[in-house]
Amino acid sequence: MFSADLLANAVVAGILLGGFYAAVAIGLAIVFGQLDIVNIAHPAFIIVGAYIAYILNSRFGFDPVLVGLLAAPAFFVVGALIYRVYFLAFERTGQESLSGLAFFFGVMFIIEVVLILIYGVDYRLVQADYIGQSWRIGFVDFPFRMLVPFAVATALTAVIYTFMSHTFMGRAIQAVAQDRLALQLMGADPVRIKQWAFGLGIATAAIAGSLLIVIGPVEPSVGRLYIGRAFAIVVLGGMGSISGMFIAALILGIVESMVSTFAGPSWSPAVAFGLLALTLALRPAGLFGRR
Amino acid sequence: MSAPLPLLQVSGLTKRFGGFVALDNVDLHVGAGERLGLIGPNGSGKTTMINCISGALFNDMGGIRFDGQDITRMLPHRRARLGVARSFQIPKPFRSMTVLENLRVPLEYAARARAGQRHIIDEAMELLESIGLKHCAQHNSAGLTQVDMRKLELARALAVKPRLLVSDEAMAGLSSAEVDEILEILLALNKRGVAVIMIEHIMRAVMRFSQRIVVLDAGHKIAEGTPDEIVSNPDVERAYLGE
Ligand SMILES: Nc1ncnc2c1ncn2[C@@H]1O[C@H](COP(=O)(O)OP(=O)(O)O)[C@@H](O)[C@H]1O
Ligand SMILES: [Mg+2]
Repeated sequence: MFSADLLANAVVAGILLGGFYAAVAIGLAIVFGQLDIVNIAHPAFIIVGAYIAYILNSRFGFDPVLVGLLAAPAFFVVGALIYRVYFLAFERTGQESLSGLAFFFGVMFIIEVVLILIYGVDYRLVQADYIGQSWRIGFVDFPFRMLVPFAVATALTAVIYTFMSHTFMGRAIQAVAQDRLALQLMGADPVRIKQWAFGLGIATAAIAGSLLIVIGPVEPSVGRLYIGRAFAIVVLGGMGSISGMFIAALILGIVESMVSTFAGPSWSPAVAFGLLALTLALRPAGLFGRR
Repeated sequence: MSAPLPLLQVSGLTKRFGGFVALDNVDLHVGAGERLGLIGPNGSGKTTMINCISGALFNDMGGIRFDGQDITRMLPHRRARLGVARSFQIPKPFRSMTVLENLRVPLEYAARARAGQRHIIDEAMELLESIGLKHCAQHNSAGLTQVDMRKLELARALAVKPRLLVSDEAMAGLSSAEVDEILEILLALNKRGVAVIMIEHIMRAVMRFSQRIVVLDAGHKIAEGTPDEIVSNPDVERAYLGE
């Protein structure tokens, strides 16, 4: 039955969930929203991040979120290398739209298969003191396994937002997204900038992965559940706008949480597509259009 | 005694789009510090020529040398670093940025290339002042008026400190007073030693600006000479008036 505390809990859970979704989508906001690269393997990298957090947590007892932060630079390097390959194989010859999609599908597939071969299909989880705890304010619950990811994701969004608008490389990434040729005629090598941006996008996956496994157990193929959500958030947020992406992620989190509270959890995977279809019908440029 | 090598030397340049020949075996040269006018009817290949010079397009035949160096197959950003700059016929500022930020991008690149980290903001403000855009440094670039958009376009090209600037119809659609403003900017720039190729339909401006004029028609160079020679050239008249 409908009740005030049910509603309040659904909204709060949705906001916390939406914050986590921002961490999932922020790398794609850069890679797909700004660079127009359809990296459907992004969630697979998030799963890799989750497994790294799992491994270091179960072997050495490291805090999973700390592991995510420490793994981010390595992910950056891997991302930069993958962009190199993608550029040499597809973008340079102008075949990126279809072959590029197949390439990232292949990357996703390889990641999943390797994880399954090594760790099997069992769910893995991490231990940390805060995971079982929660705050209760009035009749509203704030479980730490949601609150910590929300806080980290919000901080991550703030850092990327500041980076994009206040640094040399951030401006260069905006510029390459808006007018690659004009930027190149100013003496900048667009390939190097895109390589940097792609590395940055993948680096966020290390952090998002550690948050994912704090929220709940992970197995190699759960990344697929996030492909639709992440792309929907980036499009809703206006293709590349970091602030728009964050708000879109919160909206998706809240709507999903309401739907699963009042209509049943089996509906929630459909929410992203429903929201996307509705928004595109009403506002084709997303909620916060790129230009 | 041979003449000094020109700054830009284009020889036998041919560019095709599919079967269509947009430029057919065109020669063109610009001396250091020279002011060259490039004119011709719409579709005669002027922008295509600039695209080949700046590296936005690769030509099919012929060669391009800049400052003695073969740049025919060089990528655009390397040509820019050598000193080739252009403005676009249709200005497209980085719309998410302010006017000032639009200039920071090329200035920061230029500073990195030279390892000279001067104060970028000061440099950007100086450039904006010299071009008459200082008052709107903090404005969003997407909201500029037409003439200010053109100025920003020129300022961005100048930020890379070029030795050759190609201005592609920077005056189209402007009022007569605004045309004079742009003209003054280009003249002042030339005084500082920058060679300029001006592509323009506004004859009054081209005639006043150019020391030498090259005329393209349907991908061919049909005339070359001083402004006086060009106005009295019957081929040019025919190309413009269509027999
Ligand atoms: N990218 C392109 N693809 C196909 N045709 C082109 C392209 N760019 C220019 N053209 C054609 O080449 C000819 C010359 O164009 P352009 O150089 O823009 O002329 P101008 O600048 O002198 O008006 C035109 O007929 C134009 O349609
Ligand atoms: Mg043109």
